[in-house]
Amino acid sequence: MKSETTERILLWAGALAMAVFCLTPFLYMFAVSLSARPDQIGAGGFTPANYATVLGTPSLHFLDYLRNSLIVSALSAIITVLIASLAAYAITRLEMKGKAVVLFFVLAVSMFPQVSLIGYLFKLMSDLGLINTYAALVAPYVAWILPLSLWILVSYFDQIPRELDRAAIVDGCSPAQVLYKVILPVALPGVLSTALLSFIFAFNEFIFALILTTDYSARTIPVGIAMFQGLHGEIPWGNIMAASAITTAPIMLLTAVFQRHIIQGLTRGAVKG
Amino acid sequence: MAGRGEVVTGGREAYFFIAPLLLFVFAFIVFPIAGTFFSSFFSDVTFMGKKFIFLSNYTHAFSDPGFRQAFGFTLTFIAVAVPLELFIGTAFAVILDQELPLRGLWRACVLIPWAIPSAVSARIWQLIYNYGYGLANFIAVHSGLADGPVNWTGTASGSFIALLAADVWKTAPFVALIVLAGLQAVPSDLKAQARVDRATSFQVFRLVTLPLLKPVLTVALLFRTIDTLRIFDVIYVLTGGGPGGSTTSVSLYAYNYFAGGDFGYGSAVSMLLFMVSFGLSWLYVRLAGFGEAA
Amino acid sequence: MKKIYLPLLAAALAAFSACSKKPAELVFSVGGAPNEIEVWERIIKRFSEEKGVPASLLRQPTDSDQRRQGLLVPLKSEKANPDVFLADIAWIGQFAASGWLEDLAPYAAKDGTDLKPFWPKVVDFADRYNGQLSALPAYVDAGLLYYRTDLLNKYGFKAPPATWPELLSVSLKIQAGEKKANPDFFGFVWQGAQYEGLVCDFLEFASSGEKAIAFSDGVVKLDTPENIRALTFMRDTIAKNRISPPNTYTEMKEEEVRTFFQEGKAAFERNWPYAWGLHQQADSPVKGKVGIAPMPRFPGGTSVSTLGGWHIAVSRFSDDKAGAWELVKYITSPAVQKELALELGWNPGRMDVYSDKEVLKAYPHFAHLEKIFANAYPRPNIPYYTQVSSILQRHLNSALSGASEPGAALKAAESEMNEAAARYR
Repeated sequence: MKSETTERILLWAGALAMAVFCLTPFLYMFAVSLSARPDQIGAGGFTPANYATVLGTPSLHFLDYLRNSLIVSALSAIITVLIASLAAYAITRLEMKGKAVVLFFVLAVSMFPQVSLIGYLFKLMSDLGLINTYAALVAPYVAWILPLSLWILVSYFDQIPRELDRAAIVDGCSPAQVLYKVILPVALPGVLSTALLSFIFAFNEFIFALILTTDYSARTIPVGIAMFQGLHGEIPWGNIMAASAITTAPIMLLTAVFQRHIIQGLTRGAVKG
Repeated sequence: MAGRGEVVTGGREAYFFIAPLLLFVFAFIVFPIAGTFFSSFFSDVTFMGKKFIFLSNYTHAFSDPGFRQAFGFTLTFIAVAVPLELFIGTAFAVILDQELPLRGLWRACVLIPWAIPSAVSARIWQLIYNYGYGLANFIAVHSGLADGPVNWTGTASGSFIALLAADVWKTAPFVALIVLAGLQAVPSDLKAQARVDRATSFQVFRLVTLPLLKPVLTVALLFRTIDTLRIFDVIYVLTGGGPGGSTTSVSLYAYNYFAGGDFGYGSAVSMLLFMVSFGLSWLYVRLAGFGEAA
Repeated sequence: MKKIYLPLLAAALAAFSACSKKPAELVFSVGGAPNEIEVWERIIKRFSEEKGVPASLLRQPTDSDQRRQGLLVPLKSEKANPDVFLADIAWIGQFAASGWLEDLAPYAAKDGTDLKPFWPKVVDFADRYNGQLSALPAYVDAGLLYYRTDLLNKYGFKAPPATWPELLSVSLKIQAGEKKANPDFFGFVWQGAQYEGLVCDFLEFASSGEKAIAFSDGVVKLDTPENIRALTFMRDTIAKNRISPPNTYTEMKEEEVRTFFQEGKAAFERNWPYAWGLHQQADSPVKGKVGIAPMPRFPGGTSVSTLGGWHIAVSRFSDDKAGAWELVKYITSPAVQKELALELGWNPGRMDVYSDKEVLKAYPHFAHLEKIFANAYPRPNIPYYTQVSSILQRHLNSALSGASEPGAALKAAESEMNEAAARYR
């Protein structure tokens, strides 16, 4: 009995330490973003001034970055899920040689260092005149996130009973119809968590966006915040923390609400991350 | 899973269904790598003519102190960061696996560092380490641990530790999730049996759970190693590779050459990184493949 | 392979990319702080109206490396836009060697544009490359010593220090007194972080003019007594003599230095002329207490101000070079140069504006700048400057951090820079 109490106390201590470890930087971020000066947190009360500056100064381009990030990530997520569902359907349902090869090939590909692509991508996108466009980012993002999405969707599709397909085929459905009339609706939770993960991955990507954008017309939030400078090139910490807070708040909310889906998706995708 | 499922329809459609995937992967990953490989045999600098120099970029890399420093840093960082991530991640997983009220909330807590962009979290860490008004110095000075503010990123070891904290903070949660999945696969009757045999919780973990977690931990170890090998974002933002180049990773080193207009040498450096990574990926795919396909 | 691949991809991707190319429009690419961009916007609009040449502004970011990258992309792929752009003085060598810059001399000769009013030293050092006139100065920058007039008076000093050892002793004395009330006070703040600014500061500490970093036939000699003395002095300001804050070599760039001084926490500051206007703002704690002087030197050396600034150049791939030259003339004209000086505090590229009454009334310190620009020395004007500079930055910074000895750091930098020069020549 006694050892059980000790274990209980240890568990709670561990859990609290874990929460402190994970959340302290965020609390600090919010505190600084609401203070007039980064070195005097809360001195003279809290103020939304940093948020007003970040959102209300067009020349800081924060809203441009945010819009770019949302569009690029949403496009990437949608295209990725479409392409990955097609492929996952072929792999789980259709007759084809070399399925395992495809699966493991894309898994290996997703482990490559991004830096070994950027030189070529930069030249390619410059030649095509696509630097500073959404296309320059969406195309490599889709390729980059596809392996993960494929693995997750294969594991979801694989669990759907084949009887459903067969019934649909008997009713005269083509394979494409089977996919969108039967498989996708049944696997909807899986499709949603794949889309969510793809969105997060695209949203967080840094190095492609760094080299493939040079101004605010397509630059995304991570690069925007990394390069954030004030009016004379100073580093306005209060503004940066406000920008970070605006960026992370929706992601935090999303993860809190959908944590079950995200964890399931992540662990389903074998152990791809 | 491949090959296991019952095939419902046949025909050539399969290739149409899989073609878009292969098209994207080839066009934007395989081709660029082939292009980089090709470039690495050239002297390709924006303000000079392009010239075939075969292996000169590679031989230069081996004698280039900057590259050696970057490579050494990257390996050291892996050797320190990955075990730490696994340890902390496993500890988190064990905690998350227990019966705690509001389980979802604890899990969300752990997920959040993983979910936000590392460039953004690196900015937060940069402020934490700021000499004049960072949180780290606030704590150090007010708790009496240090007489005056500490210049955290002013020494090679200080920068290393600063990066380590930021990186482990971001990646340990990911390890925790994988290990958690592994933990939940451990049959509870095994644990119960051990309990009946009067083993303490720690003994149960060490003797029953840990051996069963071995495959999951191996996969996590390899994955984290490969991922840390290409570390870039957090370093670019937090230390910029300094002081004196001591925290420059191979990715950052190659990037600096691309950004400076030397595509040939940048390509050679990134190909060297790619080769190491490729070897490990192959190992990873084989290990991850156990119990999945075949 | 590439031939088939490119059009295919282009077709596939065209669906995404918004096409906004307007033909026969002059495009001027400029970056900088938001308030600067606004002024440029106005100037370009007026140019369009006055000259009847349609022109637009391509906005670039504030960050200098990012701006360089943004120009590299279109120039490398020989795009017609931008036609005209501002380039940092340090890039001109690389851009000119790459064959990206139109020779402006024939245009000037043809319509008889007088080049004499431009700072001759600046034009010779920075803009003439292999016998061609690659650019013209739009904004001249040089390092200055800012000092607190009130503090010098309080501690009985008549004039700002002329040599580095003097600066050290004056700093120590002021600091000893000021630290009592203000423990965060330091004698001297300067740019020591690992970036281009560190090289600029190093040239000034070296006080040996261009000789500090001189490439001749692709070989540089860094391991000299003057350079070792300079780097040792720089290092000692931080750890040994403690007249500069400990984060000098990790965080101190122009703005960190400028705000530190402006908050009243330093007696001396090394910065560019732009800081003057900000120090004199209404809410500045040091308003009216700041003086400027030429950079100190070592006994036997010369006072050196590192030359910086932005130059205007025409792309060789421009589809309207005559129009582009008109814009260059417009921006470097006395009227626009005066406007830039009054609006942004920019130091004009031409000398005649400095004696303008209106300008002198707004910026009395302009009278001193002439003397300082006379001591301005450029960084090496070589195409591989970026590459060798990043090596030098790394080693200088390493010596400042105490990880290596100044002599060893310079030796290592020298050998790596020579190797790089051999590769990029």
